[in-house]
Formats: sequence, C-alpha cells, structure tokens
Amino acid sequence: MERHTRFWQCALLALPLLVFGVLVVWPLLSSFYYSFTNWNGFNPHYQFVGFGNFARIFTDHLFANAIINTAIWMAAAIIVPTCLGLGLALLIDSRVPGGAIFKSIFYLPICLSAVVVGQIWVWIYQPDWGLLNTAMSAVTGQPESYAWLAKPDTALYAVIIAWSWQQTGLAMVIFLAGLTAIPHDLLEVCELEGTKFRQRVWHVILPLLRPATVVVVALSVINSLKGFDILYIMTGGGPFHSSDTLAMHMYNESFKKYHMGYGSAISVVLFLIALSIIFIYFRQLKKVDEIYE
Amino acid sequence: MSSVALARADEREFNPWPAVIFVGLVVLAVLFLAPTIGVLLSSLKTTKEISLGELWSLPHSLYLDNYVKILSDPAVHTYLINTALVAAPATAASIALGILAGYVFSKLPFPGSDLLFLAIVSGMFFPPQVILIPLFRLFNGLGLIDTLWPMIFVHTAMGIPICTLLMRNFFATVPSALREAAILEGANEWQVITKVALPLSLPAVAVLATLQFTWIWNDFLWPLIFTHSDAMRTIMLGLVFLKGQYSVAWGVQGALSLVASLPTLLVFLFFQRYFIKGMTMGAVKG
Repeated sequence: MERHTRFWQCALLALPLLVFGVLVVWPLLSSFYYSFTNWNGFNPHYQFVGFGNFARIFTDHLFANAIINTAIWMAAAIIVPTCLGLGLALLIDSRVPGGAIFKSIFYLPICLSAVVVGQIWVWIYQPDWGLLNTAMSAVTGQPESYAWLAKPDTALYAVIIAWSWQQTGLAMVIFLAGLTAIPHDLLEVCELEGTKFRQRVWHVILPLLRPATVVVVALSVINSLKGFDILYIMTGGGPFHSSDTLAMHMYNESFKKYHMGYGSAISVVLFLIALSIIFIYFRQLKKVDEIYE
Repeated sequence: MSSVALARADEREFNPWPAVIFVGLVVLAVLFLAPTIGVLLSSLKTTKEISLGELWSLPHSLYLDNYVKILSDPAVHTYLINTALVAAPATAASIALGILAGYVFSKLPFPGSDLLFLAIVSGMFFPPQVILIPLFRLFNGLGLIDTLWPMIFVHTAMGIPICTLLMRNFFATVPSALREAAILEGANEWQVITKVALPLSLPAVAVLATLQFTWIWNDFLWPLIFTHSDAMRTIMLGLVFLKGQYSVAWGVQGALSLVASLPTLLVFLFFQRYFIKGMTMGAVKG
C-alpha cells in the first residue's frame, strides 16, 4: 500500500513538475545567471561582468525614473480600484434593483484584453474628437484639443485611469464575496441598537471585510507590477520616458537595445520586489486566519 | 445585507436613500459603459463621420463596411486561427496538469508537499518579465522562435499555479471516503481520478476553462516576444499591427477590436458565473 502511494505520487506529479520546472523555475534561476553577464541576446560568446549590471542600475537615470513611475503606478493602482470597488460593492449590496446587471456592467472590462482596453482609451484621449475633450468642450464652451497621452505631465496618469477602469470590477466582486459572508443578524442587531449607516460601515462592515481587503490590495499590487501591455499600447513608456515602469524599462533594454544581461538584472530587481510583496501577503493572510479562526 | 434594515425604516418614514443609490449606480454604469459603447458606435461609422466629431452620436444608418472589410481580410483569419490554435491546447494542457498536481496535493499528501504546493502557487504572482529572457534563449536555441509552440508551452506552464490551486481546493471538498471505497474495490489512483474525482469536479474545470481561455486569448506579451512574421501573429498582436495599416480608419479599428474581443465576450456572457467564481476562488485563499 505504502509503495503504491509513493509510486502514484511520483507518477502523477512528474509531468506537472517537469513542465513547471523547465519553463518557470529554471528560467527564473537563469535570469539570475544572465544578470551577471553582458549577453546581447544572439552572440554565443559573452563575459561575466560580476555585479557590473547591478552597479549600473545605480547610475542609470532611466532606472531611477522607472522606479519612481512604478511607485506612482502601483500606489494609484492600489488606491483607485480598491476604493471604487469597495464603494460599488457596498452600493450593489444594499439590495438595489438590478444588482446583478450592475455587477455585470462593472465587471465587463476585466474580460477585455489590455490591448483592446488600451485602444479604447487612446480614443477617449484622442485630441480632436476623443470623448474627454469633446465632453470638456461641451462644459467650457470652447474647443479643447489637449493631447493627454502625448504630454509628459499627464501620460502616466491617463494610463492609470484606463487601468483602473479595467481593474475596478475585480476588486468589486471580491468585496461582494466578502460582504455576503457577513451575517445578516449581526447587521440587524446593529440596526436595532440604533446605529447610523456610516457607523455600521466604519465599525462593523469594514473590519469584517479585512480578509477581502488584504486579497484586493495584494492582487492590485501584483497585477500592477505585471502591468505592461496597456502601457505598451497607450504610450510605449513615453513621451520622454514619462510613463516608463520597471517592466517597460526591462523590455526596452532587453528587446529594443539587446542589453539582455542588464535586462536580466532589472528583472531580478522586479523579482525581488514581487517576492517581498508575496512574503508580506502570506504573512497577512496568516494573521487574518489567526484572527478569524 | 445592510438594507434589510433600510427597507424596514421605509415603513416608518420616507427614505430617499434607495432611490439615490439607484440613480447613482445608473450614472456610474453609464460612465463605465461609455468607452465600450464608443467603440461599438465608431465601428458603425465612416472615417469621415468620426473625424467630423460625430463619433459619439447615433449612426444615421446601419453602416457595416468596417466589419465587411475586417472579416474578409485573410490576415485577420490567420490571426484568429493562430490564437485558437494556441488557446485551445494550452487551456486543456494546463488544466490537465493542474488536475494531476491538485489531486496529489489534496489526496496523497507527503512530507513537504504543502511547501511544494506553496512554491508552485506563488508562481502565479511573479511578473512574466522575470523569465522572459531565458525563455527567449531556450526557444531560440530549439529553433522554435516564430512558431506557435513557445506560446502553447509557456501558457501551459504559467497556468499550472492557478490550475493546481483551484483543483486542490476543489478535490479537498470531495470526501476521502469515496476514494478509499474505490481503492478497496480494487481501483488504482488513476481510475479514482478519472472515474470518481473528475466527474465530481467538472464545475472547477469549467471555472478554469473560462479563466485560462480568456487570459490566453487576450495575451500580448508572449506573442510579442516569440513571433515576428505575420503568419504567426495572434489576434492581439495583429490588432496592434493592423493599427498601422488602417492608421486613420478608426471605424475599421473599432470593428477589429470588437471582433478580436468577441470570443472572450461570449465566454463571459455565457459563463459569467464560473468566471467570477474563478476570480474570487483563486484570489481568496493562497
């Protein structure tokens, strides 16, 4: 019996582990390896440069720029969809007629690809006939032709709004799932005790939504770190690198300039950031478990 | 739900809040739908109408030339077929591998299996850029660059974490007594999976199929890295490429965006329940 179990464990896990090992784990380790070389992507001959690529990170002003943009991008990508998603979830959960339809409408953008979302928003920001400028002219009464995506001051924020439009629905459904887990009786008791709606949200609902909030925030961070497609489509990191994030910078260095060694070093930094976030996430989940079990 | 109480307050005095909430949600819903409706409207208009600033008005007549142009373009056919050729096998393969691994982690645990499970699941969280360069080198070395194979392989591998996670959690709800009974009857583990566990887990498979198909269909990064000839492009890459060709033909671009999104929109429409369940199930527990 014991031998049989061992056999099946190995037999069933062999293929998944092989595929995952060869195509995910091994490349991950190789990234570390290449980050110490000056490989250009094609030439089989390359040299070890020690910590040269990592030293270069500190003198590369484009890297510093990308770090700042990534921080802005991540902060906005956490705050905007989380708050909007929570608001929508609370509104929909208040037994409004047509709740299911509202849910679908707000959730719909998540099944569109980043390419299509990017394209839609490029049109909204289009200077001559885009929705935004058209609406602004209607309000101000004079023709507006501001090129939102072509100005360094607004490009990154314009993409953040498009991104939030897509991600809000995800936050909303997770909060909705969390809200259905809150017992009715509890809220009714609060109601009978004469609490105000605002007090119930603040002192009862929000604390009970903590597990959902941890998940939403973690997902926002992780998805925003992965966010590349939509930036590539909408601005390509420009103008003048004003919307360059780490993922974008890594792509440009590796596949535009063929600095694969340096690109690997950037991806190692990206990995370390993701790793620390995952670490915090699992610890938070554990804490949440301890509170609720 | 907070409004059980709200409704009760209604009986005593007039409560404006439900109406205010409803109107607020309608306004937000319109704002949320506006971008999508804009594309739909533009796809039904001529370039001239759009550039005259008439994008946001209702079309005067049903103008379908943009769709005719897109659907008769052989390049678009190639892109759609390529995407299906990547999405279908990669979706199936990642789910199959997830079933195998999920079964072991839930029904045949061994010392350290929890740790191994955690390591696999954490693969879900890493930005794909981290493994981009070595994979490019690997497939370049194998002479597979500019074929569909790298996309199939990579999507299969990248799907393993979420598939393993969901299948393990689902198999955990299948009573172990069922497995033990089948084993006593002389079945082996493979028969338990295919005859007992899998038929019970079809809902989880449906959830994964909708999620994986949507993600793979919508992917842009891997085809961008692994292909360069037109014959190997997937639809999302083709969309960007054709943007140059139809550079100011916004109506054509709009029609193309909708055609490219149609499969995932249909999946969403028909399997919305599974889709949302997958998103929340995958998210809620690590």
